[in-house]
Amino acid sequence: MTLAVQSPQKSVKMQHNGGINKVAVIGSGIMGAGIAAHCANAGCDVLLYDIVPNGAEDRSMIARDAIGRMKKSNPEVLMHPSNSQRIHPVNLEDDLALLGDRDWVIEVVVERLDIKHTIYSNIEEYLSENVILSSNTSTIPRSSLVDGMSPSLASKFLITHFFNPPRYLPLLEIVAGEEVVEDLYHRMSIFASERLGKRVTLCNDTPGFIGNRLGIYFVQRAIAATLDHGFTVEQADAMLGRPIGLPKTGVFALMDLVGIDIIPAVVQSMVDNLPPEDALHEIAGKGEDIIEKMISEGYTGRKGKGGFFRLNTEGGTRIKEARSLVDGTYDTANRRAAFTSAKIGRQGLKRLMTHPDEGAAFVKEILLDTFAYAASLVPEVSEDIAAIDGAMRVGYNWKKGPFEMMDSIGLEWLVGEMVSAGIEIPSFLALAAERGSFYGQEGGEITRLDFSGELIEILTGAEVTTVADIKRRRVKPIRKNASASIWDANDGVLLVEFHSKMNALDPLIMEILLAAVDLSEDDEWKGILIANDSANFCAGANLGLALFAANLGAWSTLEDFIALGQDTYQALKYAEVPVVSAASGMCLGGGCEILLHSDGVVAHSESYIGLVEAGVGIVPAWGGCKEMLARLTDEKLVGLGPMAAPMQAFENIGMAKVAKSAHQAKDLGYLRKRDRITMNRDRVMSDAKSFLLELAQDYSPPSPNVYHLPGPSGLAALKMALNDLAIAGHATPHDLTVVGELAKVLTGGECDHTDELSEEDILALERKAIASLARNELTLARMEHMLAKGKPLRN
Amino acid sequence: MTAVICGFSRSPFTPAKKGALSGSRPDDIAAEVIKGLIDKTGLDANLIEDIILGCAFPEAEQGFNLARMLSFLSDLPHSVAGVTINRFCGSSMQAIHDAAGRIAMGAGDAFIAGGVESMTRIPMSGFNPMPNPRLATEMPEAYTNMGLTAENLAAIYEIERGTQENFAVESHRRAANADFSDVIIPITTNSGEVSTDGCIRSDSNSNSLARLKPAFKSDGSVTAGTSSPLTDGAAFVLVCDKEFAIAQGLDILASIESTAVSGCSPEIMGIGPVSATQKALMRAGLSLEEIDVIELNEAFAAQSLAVIEELGLDASKVNIDGGALALGHPLGASGARIVGRAATILAKKDAKIALATMCIGGGQGIATILRKVE
Repeated sequence: MTLAVQSPQKSVKMQHNGGINKVAVIGSGIMGAGIAAHCANAGCDVLLYDIVPNGAEDRSMIARDAIGRMKKSNPEVLMHPSNSQRIHPVNLEDDLALLGDRDWVIEVVVERLDIKHTIYSNIEEYLSENVILSSNTSTIPRSSLVDGMSPSLASKFLITHFFNPPRYLPLLEIVAGEEVVEDLYHRMSIFASERLGKRVTLCNDTPGFIGNRLGIYFVQRAIAATLDHGFTVEQADAMLGRPIGLPKTGVFALMDLVGIDIIPAVVQSMVDNLPPEDALHEIAGKGEDIIEKMISEGYTGRKGKGGFFRLNTEGGTRIKEARSLVDGTYDTANRRAAFTSAKIGRQGLKRLMTHPDEGAAFVKEILLDTFAYAASLVPEVSEDIAAIDGAMRVGYNWKKGPFEMMDSIGLEWLVGEMVSAGIEIPSFLALAAERGSFYGQEGGEITRLDFSGELIEILTGAEVTTVADIKRRRVKPIRKNASASIWDANDGVLLVEFHSKMNALDPLIMEILLAAVDLSEDDEWKGILIANDSANFCAGANLGLALFAANLGAWSTLEDFIALGQDTYQALKYAEVPVVSAASGMCLGGGCEILLHSDGVVAHSESYIGLVEAGVGIVPAWGGCKEMLARLTDEKLVGLGPMAAPMQAFENIGMAKVAKSAHQAKDLGYLRKRDRITMNRDRVMSDAKSFLLELAQDYSPPSPNVYHLPGPSGLAALKMALNDLAIAGHATPHDLTVVGELAKVLTGGECDHTDELSEEDILALERKAIASLARNELTLARMEHMLAKGKPLRN
Repeated sequence: MTAVICGFSRSPFTPAKKGALSGSRPDDIAAEVIKGLIDKTGLDANLIEDIILGCAFPEAEQGFNLARMLSFLSDLPHSVAGVTINRFCGSSMQAIHDAAGRIAMGAGDAFIAGGVESMTRIPMSGFNPMPNPRLATEMPEAYTNMGLTAENLAAIYEIERGTQENFAVESHRRAANADFSDVIIPITTNSGEVSTDGCIRSDSNSNSLARLKPAFKSDGSVTAGTSSPLTDGAAFVLVCDKEFAIAQGLDILASIESTAVSGCSPEIMGIGPVSATQKALMRAGLSLEEIDVIELNEAFAAQSLAVIEELGLDASKVNIDGGALALGHPLGASGARIVGRAATILAKKDAKIALATMCIGGGQGIATILRKVE
């Protein structure tokens, strides 16, 4: 289910950036720098402010250093290194006048009301009439922030609460106020949604807003239960991660990630600000002594020397250790701490919660209280359960929000269990239980239950934004098999959706792609859109299938699969209609080759694209080598001469280079310059469809590439470079074999650079290389290792 | 007829890719140095016969017979000719030899001889490396990676890593203490004027070098710290007929006594200076003991130490102002730098005879012997 958090109505015609191009960020700490970097990613001009250190020669040194750190950050906060040029270091003493042309000023300083008030009053006189001023506070109510502010400034003031790291976590909570100018929230939310790619959630002005209100309750409740049950941190995390649809960090590893030292302050501010009847008070403070002790010992989490978990690297190996909650000692972490019930989670939460072991009882206790708490927050934090569920999904990476989880379990059973456990049933939950569920579906549209008992249609916008939207509204796909489907996406667009496990490419997907090309020859179709709703567009071929065939020695089956892929991708490339792919997440190997054969790509900015075949001991053989050689030259990414493209392709493919953003993918040639990048994941498919319809006007298929490749002379050069790498210890013996085969393909085999080679010539070389590598035991070992462990074997 | 060196100028030498000259075209850098050299010597440019330019990878921005383009970029009269020559690392020393040879046969009075290399902008091996596949199969050592040739010498001469590192530290120390301001021509770049060398690390020490990983061979001893850095830069000398120089009232730094080149096995190219030096000494009728100043190009510490050991050089005479490990090694420019340095030292100090010698990729050595002109 892909419920978009309610997006602002588009009836008011508004610029896609909400009129925000120039931004100022006040405070260059981790969050401030992260927000500044992400605004630069969005193409904004950014002033980054901080204080002047005592006696500093460079008075903007703090901000300048922060920009320097952005370039080295890991994970990378900048989508492209050049984005740092859009961020200018300034200081709060000399440069306030520069605020005059800023469209949005966001304050990201320490969580102290007095300091924030001083900043607002110092900058007010410099701000423009149309400015939006906001604070990134996570704990201070908006009402306190605007206290003493001029009415005019208060009317321009929002809370915009980002989650860390701002580039990667899509949740943005916004708190407005009654005095806020009417279109201000809409401007901000359009900008945040379209340009920053955020899922904007409007929250009421209550402590912790939505995400942290519920998230902190859950974490505190889990700590209390862990102590009650006398569980270890490994046991707790093993039950509270994947088995219940949460990230595998569970609770304790999550605190390590967030930073142990910030937890007491955050919990305290909630306790200070929440009404006395709030359920958090009952459990706040549980485990406080443990956390205080850890902080005093310097165990502040991953940013420090460790937290509940630490990596012991003494003796040259990395051993994960866990902290005892009893005596604070560390010992090798138990990787098998999960109870039997953890596996039952796959069959549904209810099955897990009813399993007869202590792990299940532990989970049940925590979830019942958390669900009751969530239901009690409506309408206080928001009257919109879809917003609450969405916040937990995108802010905390939960697979489902609490209301979606409750629906999946069954409300009648849940209420019964709560009653048995002595939990007071919140009135909203009672209302929902009476009706059967929180969500419903009417005529293809999803509805949510309102506090008043009304069913409200969830707006996803008029245009189709996801494959799920089409599925709900159409009775049947045009064509379907176990791995892929073809849908009518309106306006003459054929949509090909992959739905095999992990979207792995297999002969069934090829069959559907070929069927789409066949269908498209009929006049009613304008083009083919390849898109899906998964986190990852496609991580490559189904290795299990290939390995199975190889282990049986079924070479002709394997070779047929290679040939089928080549024919399919060539058919896509030369179809009479344009083909556009909507990329997001991982687009690797055969998935990357689909992008290379598409007429256009709309990529989510967070797309990780690469030809990684060498990692599993093979070479790209569905035209990846063929397209990469031509692409590098066509996109002018390499110079002239017969070695230019082969050398760069050799580096990209031989080192299995993966672009860490769509912007970087353009540098590497996996995307063309004309391909488009969309910051908001929810809009990738509709943008791709628009691009397709543009290309469909006056479309004619591309002319085939011709190649002039260096032949044996170039092969000699690449092999020399490869041997040097091996001697230097950067290439393994099997790397020499695999990348040696790659070199033969990329240099054109037994040709001379005065010869003209065709696409078919390169495809034949790809087939030859893979036929040889597939028969190599070491390649099969790489495939097996990848399937078993999910990472490459260095043999 | 005797060839004499009447002036020496060079650009700052700065690290490739991240150095201050990485954004500058090599022809622009070289032209500024030539203009500065002519200015400094006071020679009437109309009297120059030829620009002889060494360059190891004469393509792209270093293409188009760069020497001829330099005559235009340096605002020289169109009558001044230009030729580009290539002997890899020995290119600009070869340029000086060519000038001396032509003077000896009466084919000109004044030559601008030197070289340039932007290792930022034109990669080592060039943009389209296409070795002969038959040679690469039958005699792969012909194309041996330079770092591995240093590893080979370290193994043959049993030069330990620590010894190499101490040699590198000393090179940096000497270079940091030397004053090159009299020979450096400031170069104007988009981000301002560059007038100082960029590769020298005055804080280099054996502890920091010991932490580096082997750069070329996983179990080897040669690291980035004991290899000359990739460098951008240009260096030129003015070579004239002695009588012409006297008549023109030019300063004479030194005379060229003898020159030599020789080949060796390519996989130990670093030993090339040994036979080249022996030949040059023989031609000059000198013995090693008579040499006061030695400029030995430090392609690698291991290679320099092997040459010192094999020739039996007095280490206190070698590279008294530091060498390429510290200053950098812009391939086409280094030969003119060490000849120019040797001539400068002769002119300044109480010393009579100097040797400048260097190894060359592919297995060659080149040597020049200079004498102070009394």
